[in-house]
Amino acid sequence: MNRLPEPFGCLIDRSRPVRFRFDGLAYTGLAGDSIASALAANGVRVLSSSFKHRRPRGIYSAAGHEAGVLVQVNQEPSVAADERAIAEGMTVSRHHKGGRWIERFDRFLPVGFYYRAFFRPAFGWRLWEPIIRRRVGHGRVDPGFAGGEHDKLHLHADVAVVGGGPAGLAAALAAAETGAEVVLLHRRPRLGGGLLWGRPDAAGQHGGDLAAQLGAAVLAEPRIRILTAATVTGCFADRWLSAVQGARLIKLRARALVLASGQREQPAVFRNNDLPGVMLGSAAQRLIRLHGVKPGRRAVVATANDAGYGVALDLEEAGVELAGILDLRPGHPPGDLRQAAAHRGLPILQGRAPVAAEGRDAVQAVLHAGLDEAGGERGRLAADLLCLSVGGTPAAELAVQAGATLAYDPDVAGFRLTGLPEGVFAAGAVDRRFTAQAAEADGKAAGREAARAAGFVPQPMHRPTATAATPNHPFPIFPHPEGKDYVDFDHDVTVADVANALTDGFEHIELLKRYTTLAMGPSQGRLSALNAARLLARARNLPVAAVGAPNPRPPFGEECFGHLAGRGHHPVRRSALHPAHQARGAKFMPAGLWLRPAYYGSDAEVAVRAEVMAVHHDVGLIDVSTLGGFDIRGPDAPEFVERFHTGSFRKLAPGRCRYGLVCDVAGSLIDDGMVCRLAPEHFYVTATTGAADGIYRSMLWWQAQWRLDVDITNLTSALAGISVAGPKARDLLAPLTRDLDVSAAGLPFVGIREGHIADIPVRALRTGFVGEVAFELHVPAGMALALWEMLLTAGERLGVRPFGVEAQRILRLQKGHIIIGQDTDANTTPAEAGLALAVAMAKPYFVGRRALEIRAGQPLERRLVGFTLADPLAAPPSECHLVVRQGDIVGRVTSVAHSPVLNQTIGLAYVAPDQAEPGIAFTIKVRAGRLLNAVVTKPPFYDPAGARQA
Amino acid sequence: MNPSPQHRRSFLAHRQAVLTAPKAIAPDGLVLVDLSARPRLGFKGRGTPAWLQGRGLALPGRPNEATPQADGGLLLRLSEHEHLLLAPLSETDGQCQALATAQARERPDHVYPLPRQDSHAWLLLAGAAAADCLAKLCAVDLRADRFGLGDMAQTLMARVSVIVARADLAEHCGYHVLCDSAVAEYLWDCLLDAMAEFGGGPLDQAAFASGLRNPEPP
Repeated sequence: MNRLPEPFGCLIDRSRPVRFRFDGLAYTGLAGDSIASALAANGVRVLSSSFKHRRPRGIYSAAGHEAGVLVQVNQEPSVAADERAIAEGMTVSRHHKGGRWIERFDRFLPVGFYYRAFFRPAFGWRLWEPIIRRRVGHGRVDPGFAGGEHDKLHLHADVAVVGGGPAGLAAALAAAETGAEVVLLHRRPRLGGGLLWGRPDAAGQHGGDLAAQLGAAVLAEPRIRILTAATVTGCFADRWLSAVQGARLIKLRARALVLASGQREQPAVFRNNDLPGVMLGSAAQRLIRLHGVKPGRRAVVATANDAGYGVALDLEEAGVELAGILDLRPGHPPGDLRQAAAHRGLPILQGRAPVAAEGRDAVQAVLHAGLDEAGGERGRLAADLLCLSVGGTPAAELAVQAGATLAYDPDVAGFRLTGLPEGVFAAGAVDRRFTAQAAEADGKAAGREAARAAGFVPQPMHRPTATAATPNHPFPIFPHPEGKDYVDFDHDVTVADVANALTDGFEHIELLKRYTTLAMGPSQGRLSALNAARLLARARNLPVAAVGAPNPRPPFGEECFGHLAGRGHHPVRRSALHPAHQARGAKFMPAGLWLRPAYYGSDAEVAVRAEVMAVHHDVGLIDVSTLGGFDIRGPDAPEFVERFHTGSFRKLAPGRCRYGLVCDVAGSLIDDGMVCRLAPEHFYVTATTGAADGIYRSMLWWQAQWRLDVDITNLTSALAGISVAGPKARDLLAPLTRDLDVSAAGLPFVGIREGHIADIPVRALRTGFVGEVAFELHVPAGMALALWEMLLTAGERLGVRPFGVEAQRILRLQKGHIIIGQDTDANTTPAEAGLALAVAMAKPYFVGRRALEIRAGQPLERRLVGFTLADPLAAPPSECHLVVRQGDIVGRVTSVAHSPVLNQTIGLAYVAPDQAEPGIAFTIKVRAGRLLNAVVTKPPFYDPAGARQA
Repeated sequence: MNPSPQHRRSFLAHRQAVLTAPKAIAPDGLVLVDLSARPRLGFKGRGTPAWLQGRGLALPGRPNEATPQADGGLLLRLSEHEHLLLAPLSETDGQCQALATAQARERPDHVYPLPRQDSHAWLLLAGAAAADCLAKLCAVDLRADRFGLGDMAQTLMARVSVIVARADLAEHCGYHVLCDSAVAEYLWDCLLDAMAEFGGGPLDQAAFASGLRNPEPP
């Protein structure tokens, strides 16, 4: 075991062993271990093999910044082994096994290989794709995987702070002190950031003390809401953050934002810089101080800054033998930590750099050379660990998403943030305050500035200036003639690959990125963008500032489909009668957002036929609550209705209804319904189920233009509707009412009355949609259920039966009534639909009038007609089957049904205008190209004189 | 149309509460109450503010405000000329019936009645975690210290339009939620789902009212 004694391992609980399996073998770690740290404690160094060359890979950042640590956990692919905590019984496996032979052919697999190799001949891709797909990818997707429930949460803050290191903690405290409500989001499970694993001082004690002190203060502050293990994945306009915490997607809106996301250590480039055992200095420190794991036995540290000496001191204290410290800087640079290392007698090799690592499955030795012109004599240090501490880059993804720019600054030999938008502040290492003290002071100042931006009044405070010293070496890249010098570990992009891309003409950083796929892997260039920019700049002989960095787009980190889809709320509208339909065994169908009964019972054909016959012979009830209903009230109500509908309603008497059509400004039909006049200044207008919302919006929009003295009230949900239809409808209703005369004289066809049925207030409309005597009862939704039940009870002796939408479709087709949207499309004019009579062109204005005037001057292209089949026994066509003439399409079938009462197939179809006369035969192309003869038949097909509706 | 209360049923009557114990509204519990059977009504039109004021109602000063009435009712101002009156949570109907009758009798100019009892379902979510629960469904900042008594919002909750106002429940934190009656069951289920992690559940209206009268000692 490589487990270190206390005080190392501040995250682990030594009393709680956790058993798990990796690649079939059983291991034991400790609570608080990541998969990677637990395996490292067990001496396992290889976590996966690389994406392209299948080279062994191990821990590199210990912070989830590279694809080399992605593993399969149970059914979940692409899990970062250095971030996911181990759990009892967890089964972990590698994504790829074997296949390393391909590494030997890497010279034949240069960048752009796929683009050039597989697109010819045309059938080639079909051959190659399955082979390539089997080899690539990060893990297996299990289609049966139940990912568990996900949901979303909306949060609000005066100040949001991203990052729980010294700067973030200080910023949260400073902002909260002014009275601001703060939300602090930290990616790791424990607050402290770099204080927990770094070594800010020679004694190695200050970091932990400061973390404890700041952490306790933050926990004690009631105005700070702390979200740990929460990754902020995106930063959008107006300080709107998306974050992922467990199975929850958080949407956070803040008045001001402090980004204290720290900096990310960067690798050096040399031969075999990807071997297990080569890692960032910060990774070794994370293993030692967070997890109490000894990262190796004999180490080389390559550094270009003082922090590297902190790594060496930590290693020494952890019992790792120091083979040498390669300091890339010339001369004798200052630094407390360097001094402490020298004082302890650690072997320092000044002005030397690692130029290659030796070993096949892990590091065995490090080759180093001088950095002056001559290069000096090569040296070799036997070691199983090489720690790199050659610089960093701001963890600035969120800042860039917020609108800031990452500009290369030659003075610090790295990127720095410029142009943060209003209300967004950066603090700490992300903005070049590298020491713990500077970061804390900077965070405090940024917290106060953010509070001020959020409207609070803080004490003034000056921000400390950025550190002049830089941790960055300007060019820690040492190309090797034999390659394996990796710039991007995700996709195995080497120095030669970058050079080849430039030779191929991809000279812009964004083109280079797409051609080489550098920075396009799971880590999105977190460890490669800086070195790629340096290489590109040197090759093009440009300053790095002129090259820039690839643009980091959201999401940062991992968002799974569950986070995006989780708790997808899909509204469903149910009529007030829904429970009654359910109790009666209704089969529901969607109609817009509504659920409507299609029919009642289990056998569709039997049920629909019985329902149709009940309406013809006895009495049926249908729920028409989904129809739109609007009260138009006020002195200008007649004017509004006149302008909105195509017909003429000014002379419509109170107590009467008239069919109304609505066109859009292009003169196309958008809806129909009944326009009912309840009083001289009060109209009640209905709309179809699917169009009701749109009609209401349209009414409000036109009223905003017209500014008439009128009120428009949407009663769609307030009024439920029950249509009582059939020859016995009057027999059913008459005994239930005292104040409504339901006789033909008392309430004639297309009349409307207000009264009561069974003491329930109703608006009763005489309509003719289904072709029998019918009363549409529009009742307060809260009383509809009571009325429905009373009608069913009272109608039992009359054979009453509820009927659904399917039966209604047949009944209306028998009468030749069209359904807008089914029998019409976005271009249908009233004339094409045979509804010219419902258009009063004599009116000076209505919506669509001008367009209809123009369109009337164009030749008619089609007509909607009724049809029957020439051979009554022929199989019926389907809706949308084409009407053809001499090979040309002239129309289509829009509605078709078998009428049980007529015992024949009837339908509506568009035909050429010269085919529209009754008796003319036309041809429908049905399944398999067969032709079917139909005959134009003038609707109504049933009861043409309307005698049954009197 | 005059209401006939004996036939009126809540849109959620078939989903009625399973919890009936008043102790379920202890301050740390979270309960969802269907108040759809309680009276409410609305008026709009430019004559509305003056007429309501003339009838003795205390009017909110601006849209998206709610003003408690002397009888315990709550008057919400949805826009310059549109108001919604919620009956008190006690057994009386407050001024709802009186206003409806007066409007029908007087027919004041530019005052149009709105059948809010039928157009909208009325739910009440109460308990210490109410704001946290609603934050899962609604993007508006409804935290108790930011959305106080007298605040009202017309927004989306679980993708449907709602009117939200704080409910004055003494020691309980509560929110009135009014939604289109056709989506009552949908939103009821969404709220129950969101409540699950906080414990609690639906509560019968009568039990809720009795709990309000005799709150459990903390």
